Amino acid sequence: MPTFPDADWFLALGHLMEVEGELFRRLGYAEVRFVVRVIDEDGRAERETAVELDGYKLGRVATLHAAAAIAPERTAALEDAASHQLERAPDLDDVASFDPDFTICATRVAWNRMLDEIARDGRPEARHTLSSLALIGEELWLESTDQLREDKYFRFNQTLQELLNLSGKLSR
Amino acid sequence: MPAVQIKDEARVGTEARVKLQPSVYLEQLFKTGTPDLAWMNQHGEWGVRAKPGNLGLRLKDIEIGSYGVIPDRGGDHRSMAPRGAVVPPDVPSLGFTVNEKAECWADNAMELYEEAVARQWSSARDIPWSELKPLPDDLEHAMCQLCTFLTEVEFIAADAPTRWMSQINQDFLEVKLFLATQAMDEARHTDVFRKRALANGGGLGKASALSQLSLKRIFDSPSFSAQTARLHLLGEGFVLTMFRQGEFIAPSRVESEIFRRCMQDESRHVGYGTMHLRAQLSARPELVNEIHEQLDDAESILLQLFSVPESVEPMAILMGGGLKHFDQGMEMQANLWRRIVNEYLQRCDSAGLDRRPRCLLPTDFTKLFAA
Repeated sequence: MPTFPDADWFLALGHLMEVEGELFRRLGYAEVRFVVRVIDEDGRAERETAVELDGYKLGRVATLHAAAAIAPERTAALEDAASHQLERAPDLDDVASFDPDFTICATRVAWNRMLDEIARDGRPEARHTLSSLALIGEELWLESTDQLREDKYFRFNQTLQELLNLSGKLSR
Repeated sequence: MPAVQIKDEARVGTEARVKLQPSVYLEQLFKTGTPDLAWMNQHGEWGVRAKPGNLGLRLKDIEIGSYGVIPDRGGDHRSMAPRGAVVPPDVPSLGFTVNEKAECWADNAMELYEEAVARQWSSARDIPWSELKPLPDDLEHAMCQLCTFLTEVEFIAADAPTRWMSQINQDFLEVKLFLATQAMDEARHTDVFRKRALANGGGLGKASALSQLSLKRIFDSPSFSAQTARLHLLGEGFVLTMFRQGEFIAPSRVESEIFRRCMQDESRHVGYGTMHLRAQLSARPELVNEIHEQLDDAESILLQLFSVPESVEPMAILMGGGLKHFDQGMEMQANLWRRIVNEYLQRCDSAGLDRRPRCLLPTDFTKLFAA
């Protein structure tokens, strides 16, 4: 069974996203590419998954292979996605063109807590949402080469949160 | 088809002051019954067949052929004749004053317009008002004062740019469409914060002379680009961070939904402003000093605004979770201040404006208090 942040785990969310089509249509479409990065206890990138939202459905999803080699500095420029190899890329032909708008970096603890709360209540507590955690910036932060592209995190925030909230419907 | 019944039909036109003769064309048509059809030979590029993408037929899908060419200078006829149509020589000018592309354009205007239309929401329907719960007085006072401030300032982002919208050459239609969505967004923000203030046992708080001063300066900006710097880059960027804080401080899912949805809208406005300034400064780098001067003044007013209790204290009370945690709330505010300044400066970078050396906003919150 896939677990967060496997590419297959996101693909399962993508399937649910299509099942729950009306919710996402009501929120409006989202066109955004991002990388989900899990930070381990030593502050190093443990896992990375590239995710694309293409309107009302998931687009490309891929596990980025070289996560462990990534420097953990928060202020470092976004790594070139082209330098990573795909472990599994069911629908991604050209990783060099992935070019994420931003990377969501969060500690394993923060991701797990959010997913636990979603499993329990259907959504995270107000101070543990994507938006709130990014505001404080201690457990979750964003990396991007351009503030304008980073701002897509806020433009599509409700869609991103609702996508993760669907994980409450997955078996754990 | 049965004739439509018109009330008092016999009286219609009996006191008309002007009598019109039928046109030569209509007389001819009445006599011969033969249509003219010359208009069929007067058209823009013909045979165009725009194809919808996976999200329907969007503006970017119809930017094809000659219709996709945005001129550097808008049509001299200055009418609302559609770009790409045949324009008769006798169209009256509407007197547009923003006629250069660089004065208003942003490469993301089409994208943001379509996104805005797709992501509209209703404050009546989409906010779970029934989940509001009574709050302790200190929190309700603080939330109501914050809502008062936001109700007070939000509609400037409709009133001010739409003043210029009516001056923008119709050939830059995409910009006008986007600004129309911004006006709708701000109408919704104004209504939703007013509704929240009046929905939970509180009411409106104190308006602010300094807020009004900042709005007046936005209103009186000498050019659209100058206004964009003050409004979109600094003002809306600042409010965007407040909306992000709003979700964090939300006492219930009502406020959480309100702030998150407003945050999404506001991000589009900031995105347009940043891209417009990038286009304008790229085309006319000599304007950089005018933009800096606008931001000198706007930053100065912002600092004054954050020197009065009704601006500083509500957010600290909400951040801390109550008056008894005021100090903790102020400490969180201090941390967030650095984020506000950092994101503002990064947006300036993105616009091609090196604001760092000239920025009046201290990176350290405590310097707001130092003499």
